[in-house]
Amino acid sequence: MTRREFFKFVLKTASAVAVGAYFITEKVSPRKFIRAVRQKKYPGSVKQLPNVYTQGKWRG
Amino acid sequence: MKIQCQLCPKQCLIKPGQSGECRVRINIDGVLRTVVHSYPCSIHIDPVEKKPFFHFLPATKTLSLATVGCNLHCKNCQNWEISQANPEDSEAVFCPPEKLVELAKTNQCASLAYTYTDPVIYYEYTLDSSKLANASGIRNTLVTAGYINQEPWKKLLQYVDAARIDLKAISDDFYREVCSATLKPVLDCLVLTKASGVHLEVINLVIPTLNDKPEQILSLVQWVKGNLGSETPLHFSQFYPQYKMRHLPPTSAQTLDTARQIARAEGMQYVYIGNIASDTGQNTYCPGCKKLLIERSGFTVLQNRLKEGCCPDCGQKIYGVWK
Repeated sequence: MTRREFFKFVLKTASAVAVGAYFITEKVSPRKFIRAVRQKKYPGSVKQLPNVYTQGKWRG
Repeated sequence: MKIQCQLCPKQCLIKPGQSGECRVRINIDGVLRTVVHSYPCSIHIDPVEKKPFFHFLPATKTLSLATVGCNLHCKNCQNWEISQANPEDSEAVFCPPEKLVELAKTNQCASLAYTYTDPVIYYEYTLDSSKLANASGIRNTLVTAGYINQEPWKKLLQYVDAARIDLKAISDDFYREVCSATLKPVLDCLVLTKASGVHLEVINLVIPTLNDKPEQILSLVQWVKGNLGSETPLHFSQFYPQYKMRHLPPTSAQTLDTARQIARAEGMQYVYIGNIASDTGQNTYCPGCKKLLIERSGFTVLQNRLKEGCCPDCGQKIYGVWK
């Protein structure tokens, strides 16, 4: 192995490890389920409660 | 700081200011927030048969609600106008858990149904409302695709009385291509639900050319029977061209009848066809003596002959929650 090939090998290996470590560390937080915090303000528009007696038009 | 949501198997990695795939769980300043808690976009009183629940408190009313958003993006979604909507583009009403329970009580609803989109994505709203309803003697039912991680699901099931879960096909490719999801978490969810003792009914939407072949239906039926038991009610539902699947025809009555015959031949005790007019496909028959127990037409119960959850003729116990 020439010195150039050796440096290429080291560079490739280091890059692969760095990319792998980045993805792994990005995916580990939080490690378990935590409930989301309730956001008090609705981002869309808020209307009055309609007549709930009408059967839902949606399926299910 | 990025946050990884651990609610469903998608485990979205959410950048600040962005939402997960469900559109309603947002990273705000490094904190995972739900923007739909207490803000249903739809709230109605439905017959419980509409969900459909055929073995759970028949002929009762259920206060049904949904928020916008969904963690699946089914190309055939029949409620896509709300399931695929962004909260910021939608209208909602303010209805916190206390108000929901009060509405259910004043309108003599036996249960709350978290339905229309998917209660998984408004998990915290469902959980808080279920706890409160449970303490007030109101039952809780979930109508869901069952695409959720085990830990939050177990926590929610403690307060739930019944679940109607979609099993769209026994094919991971189907889930990936049609629903942008995967099969295994759904199967795990079904097994966990049944094992937890929560009343379970399974529905399969039969879509022409995609999951309507007899061998596909047979594999689904065999899985349900083998893993959930032959007493689990199984509904085959008619597909209607919607959303991104307008090019396919509606499911024929013959295909649904064939699916029902396959399931009954395999030993499933309670098989129904829905979303389509049928003379007998919505009735419940005794698996012992084969006599008619509950006669239905659409969402209406015409007669219910059950006595204390048993067949009045042969005494066989019928799976379900009857009072």
